[in-house]
Amino acid sequence: MIRLDAVSKRFGDLLAVNALTLNIREGEIFGLLGPNGAGKSTIISMISGQQQLTSGTLQVGGFQPDSKASKRLIGVAPQAIAVYEDLSAIDNLEFFGSLYSMRRAELKQRCTEMLEFVGLTDRARERVEKYSGGMKRRLNLAITLIHDPQVLLLDEPTVGVDPQSRNSLFDNILALKKRGKTILYTTHHMEEAERLCDRVGILDQGSLLALDTVENLIDEHGGASHLSATTATGVVDRDTHQPVVDLQEILSKHTGIRDLKLQRPELEKVFLNLTGRQLRD
Amino acid sequence: MGLLSAMVKKDLKVLFRDKVTVFFTFGFPLLFAAFFGAIFSSGGGNSGMSVAVTDLDLTTESAAFIQRMDDSSSLQVAAMPENEAREATRKGKKVAYIILPKGFGPAYASLFSGGSPSLIVGVDPSRKAEAAMLEGVLMKMGVERFQNAFSDTDSLLSMLDDTILSVESNDQMPAEWRSLLGEYLPQIKDLTAAENQSQKDAEESGNDVSTGTGIADAMTPLKLDFEDVMISREGPKNGYAVTIPQAMYWAILGVVMGFSVALVQEKTMGTMTRLVAAPISRMQILGGKALGCFFALFLVMTVLFIFARFVFEVPIDYPLKVLLALLSVSIGFVGIMMFIAAVGKTQRGISSLGWGIMMIFAMFGGAMIPLFAMPDWMKSLSDFSPAKWAILSFEGATWRNFSYPELLLPCGIMLVLGVACFLAGSRLIKLEN
Ligand SMILES: Nc1ncnc2c1ncn2[C@@H]1O[C@H](COP(=O)(O)OP(=O)(O)O)[C@@H](O)[C@H]1O
Ligand SMILES: [Mg+2]
Repeated sequence: MIRLDAVSKRFGDLLAVNALTLNIREGEIFGLLGPNGAGKSTIISMISGQQQLTSGTLQVGGFQPDSKASKRLIGVAPQAIAVYEDLSAIDNLEFFGSLYSMRRAELKQRCTEMLEFVGLTDRARERVEKYSGGMKRRLNLAITLIHDPQVLLLDEPTVGVDPQSRNSLFDNILALKKRGKTILYTTHHMEEAERLCDRVGILDQGSLLALDTVENLIDEHGGASHLSATTATGVVDRDTHQPVVDLQEILSKHTGIRDLKLQRPELEKVFLNLTGRQLRD
Repeated sequence: MGLLSAMVKKDLKVLFRDKVTVFFTFGFPLLFAAFFGAIFSSGGGNSGMSVAVTDLDLTTESAAFIQRMDDSSSLQVAAMPENEAREATRKGKKVAYIILPKGFGPAYASLFSGGSPSLIVGVDPSRKAEAAMLEGVLMKMGVERFQNAFSDTDSLLSMLDDTILSVESNDQMPAEWRSLLGEYLPQIKDLTAAENQSQKDAEESGNDVSTGTGIADAMTPLKLDFEDVMISREGPKNGYAVTIPQAMYWAILGVVMGFSVALVQEKTMGTMTRLVAAPISRMQILGGKALGCFFALFLVMTVLFIFARFVFEVPIDYPLKVLLALLSVSIGFVGIMMFIAAVGKTQRGISSLGWGIMMIFAMFGGAMIPLFAMPDWMKSLSDFSPAKWAILSFEGATWRNFSYPELLLPCGIMLVLGVACFLAGSRLIKLEN
């Protein structure tokens, strides 16, 4: 659905995106995981036709990224909340909807649905100024969806959000996947990528370091699992690449086991192993 | 059209929900117009009625009469040649002109012979009340002529001598009249001489004697020949007629600043990202902004004109000309808004640059000091200020009563400026971060 072929973006001396090749499939949630400054937002703005590529090719649904056809396919939720604070939620939705030449009745209908979808129906006529950070994020998503786009570009959609709104946003995103949307989701939280994404690309300093399902990434780059057993005589623990084999061995050697823990590595570890740095500093 | 109307609607909502902008677009201009308009309207009354005087007689009497007018607290006298005096009244710069024709001096000097002295007076027909007052003032001064004559007995005696002589030498006077006056006048002279003596005695002994008032009332002191004045008014009818076009500029300033800041705020707020990501062109985005700004300007100024007409009673005799001025001034400042937004770049840049430019325009364009009250050096600088052409468009459409060709100059300048600034601004402006 979204195809990048050797895409680079340069700002002066800075190579913000370095020869990125990527194919995001229809109907999947694709996660771009990387620290601040990795180039995630730059990639999104190139896909949505707001910034020109320095080199390479990019297509959305077979269209050029700055064509009207591709713009119609795409809904972007910018990293910084992009709403008119002086207007109400419903004014915002109606205005942005009108940019997509929707018919009036259809637009009204969509507004109602989207407000319902993100749980803002009750406060739809209030000025956005008065909303909490979480409510603004939800509105930011609703506006992105107003013209029912096929492709969603969600740039760190949970920044500055309380846990409750965060869960509700996750539910929204999973519901959208069920409706067959293609979603590009950027984040620097590995838990989000683990929880939501079918496939994850790990990005650092403009380069894609690895790309696979979370399972495979962990298998390949996560390193050893951690196994620990508390026996009558004490604690046995070790790092292992074959936890099942090791577990059988412990069970056969020790009796009276009181506690057993097997911990698989997380994405965090994958990033650490790939870059030698923590994802969050 | 749905797209553009949605953009306009949104921009107007955003603009007028900002209380500061509302104050600067409606509150401040109205305060300005009301405050300075009241000052201008009440002015003039205190320093006396302003009249033009022409002395064609050039005698000591005419000079003395003008001096007495000048001394009067109810008149403010400016001496000028006859044609200038008429012109000044026609254009409303003076309430009236007063011409002292040849022969005024002799007629003034002789009390009992010849005609009474006459003045030629032309009054601005729109200032009837002041004209009536002027007539009163002049007649009072005519009466004073007698009072002076009778209270100064020496001059009365010499005047009687002159009169007796002229009666004797007058062939046209009927014989009965001549014999009557020939008898009567010398008697008056004797009486006056005797009274003069007793008055001098009385003065020496400290008594105050006043004389002559009874006779003065019986005669025509002054003849006023009124002339019709064809007005070609260049002066405003009331103070608000001057301050309303100025107030328009302050309102324009409010809208222009509001819109150029809002345009850049779209970038900082990130909403521009959404506009750019939508399937609309750059020109549609900028065109929507321009149209929103146009409607805001048009709306605000129309409201001010309605206030001007119905609250401040500024005469608006040519609504079509006002409409033409409104349209072209709106277009002019839409362009300037776009240019300021493009050059200012950031909100801070726009605030300082925009306010700076717009204030300098205001200073030299007549939004602070009215155009007609400017010193000449400033008037020539004002040509470079769009504020001048905006204000001139409004003044031309109201009290300056421009013809359409005359109105075309300020309105045309606004149109050309608007289009040029819009083209330059829309090329320069960056929508993406
Ligand atoms: N318009 C720009 N001009 C110059 N440098 C930019 C611009 N946008 C982004 N960058 C730089 O490009 C790099 C990637 O930025 P970004 O894509 O925003 O990263 P992320 O979204 O992953 O945090 C950063 O070093 C950032 O400073
Ligand atoms: Mg980013």
